[in-house]
Amino acid sequence: MHIDLKREIKESSAGKTGLVILLIMVSIATLAPLIAPYDPCQQSISSLLAPSLSHWLGTNHVGQDIWSRLVFGARTSLLVGFGVGIVSTLLATIFGVSAALVGGFYDKVIMRVVDAFIVIPMVIVVILVAAYLKPSILILMLLLSLLSWQGGARILRAQALSLKEKGHIAAARSFGAHRFYIARRHIVPDLGPILVVDFIYSIRRAVFMEAGLAFMGITDPIVVSWGMMMRDALSFSYLNVWQWWLIPTGVALSLTIVGLTFIGYAAEPVIEPRLRGAEVA
Amino acid sequence: MNLIVPFKIERKMLSKRNLVTYTIAFLLILALNFLLPRMMPGDPLTAIYGDEALIAMTPEFKAHLIERFALDQPLWNQFGAYLLALFQGELGYSYYYSAPVSAVILGRLPWTLLLVGTSLLLSTLLGIVLGIESGWRRGSKTDRALLTGLMSLNGFPDFFLGMVLLIIFGVTLHVFPLAGALTPYAGLSGLPLVLDVLRHLFLPVAALTLTYLAGTYLLTRNTMITVLREPYMLTARAKGLTQRVLKYRHAGRNSMLPVVTRTGIRVGRVVTGALFTELVFAYPGVGCLTYEALLTRDYPVIQGVFLIVAIFVLLANFVVDLFYPRLDPRVNSAY
Repeated sequence: MHIDLKREIKESSAGKTGLVILLIMVSIATLAPLIAPYDPCQQSISSLLAPSLSHWLGTNHVGQDIWSRLVFGARTSLLVGFGVGIVSTLLATIFGVSAALVGGFYDKVIMRVVDAFIVIPMVIVVILVAAYLKPSILILMLLLSLLSWQGGARILRAQALSLKEKGHIAAARSFGAHRFYIARRHIVPDLGPILVVDFIYSIRRAVFMEAGLAFMGITDPIVVSWGMMMRDALSFSYLNVWQWWLIPTGVALSLTIVGLTFIGYAAEPVIEPRLRGAEVA
Repeated sequence: MNLIVPFKIERKMLSKRNLVTYTIAFLLILALNFLLPRMMPGDPLTAIYGDEALIAMTPEFKAHLIERFALDQPLWNQFGAYLLALFQGELGYSYYYSAPVSAVILGRLPWTLLLVGTSLLLSTLLGIVLGIESGWRRGSKTDRALLTGLMSLNGFPDFFLGMVLLIIFGVTLHVFPLAGALTPYAGLSGLPLVLDVLRHLFLPVAALTLTYLAGTYLLTRNTMITVLREPYMLTARAKGLTQRVLKYRHAGRNSMLPVVTRTGIRVGRVVTGALFTELVFAYPGVGCLTYEALLTRDYPVIQGVFLIVAIFVLLANFVVDLFYPRLDPRVNSAY
């Protein structure tokens, strides 16, 4: 596994573009209270205003400042994204690596469950569960994490299986190293680049799913979310408010997802070294 | 002869493995559908039938339902009763639509099949052709433009793509209708009806095709690039075959394989894409039905849709697994 992930991303123009986009979004999300001129939930009687100096993107149907909501929406998207990314990559590592190292019946059970989850589309499971639980943002993150680690676990297991046969691990084992020690000391560190790719794709999936579910009106209505903003904006599409309400929100969401896609795509040769050079320039 | 024997064993193992996977997936789906409403606090009948149903219910009917679902008995018996009802083809009754759930879903299914079928066909054909062309001239201007364009498209959230099309062609240009699958109360028949359906279908299909396109294209292009390095391509070139034969018959055909294999993974995107697209265009398919059921808390319909979609997806995967070894004999030893 002597692949330099940093170089891989930096050398591709798509990777660089993606990184820049993501950095901008993360800064907006972190500095949201400083950037947003209004409280995103503050309602007022001046509803559906056109953009002006005091309201850059106008106001929505209940008089909330759209620009402020856009800025705070980045927080929700990225919070859900990174939260789910961390938990699902963690689960993928635990199950993937342990399946590879323990092997036998345990491996079989884990992999069959993983396969079963992969064939069931995540969105319908979330809808069914959400219909009953009316999820808060934490439950939503948990739910998305539980449904999105399986693909990563599969890739990590395959990689751990091939690492297991390497000389240095055989050596460690012959010195009497415990399985857990081998996993922690030798396997997981070598999986680093793959973990990053899995992490990026998990974030992307989660950002997309959060927006989609909010667009369907399943998520917590109090939390400011891009998906919810687009849902509200679309119901007013007969007015020309879509120009400053729908489009900027959609562009913000798309940019975030495109950014993550670019990073993931640039880093993908890590999972599939055969693709090396498939990227243009 | 020696070669053939292990081949056969592998094949058997493959199908057994998949059978186990599908069984687990099916059980997971059933368990989720069965357990969720029954684990909810409060009256399980409310969770199974929704609030609206309870108001309309007579005590006798309530007692009948409790007996039908064995709700006064241990969980195992309840599960038995649930399975029994399911295998009799009964998905429950929707009080919102005053119709059996199976009838409600079947009424909407043709629209979804029309929308998804057309979009899948178009996006697969287009994706494969573009992928082959792009991979063939890797690094050229065409390739670069296609790759960047489609990768950005891939990042577009499914529903935003639909909204943009809706706003450009529906709201601003008034070229296509804004919502629905038919002009209501127009009383059309024959050719005008077909044209009306097509006019309503155009934007949703365009949105969904674009949604599906990027995945097929990227997969085909990536495989094309690895396939072009294979020794058999060199042989084919050395035989003096024409560019077209090389590109399509030798490299292209092999590059189509992952599009088929990865159906299982793509199917998630297919379902989500269809759901969001139907919502944006208020297209009266199963996706819109799900949304309406969510709004009205029509639990039997949500459960029914969940079950039917899940079974559809499992079947699609199963069919691909059955036919794939015929497309690519190497699969038998790939696992």
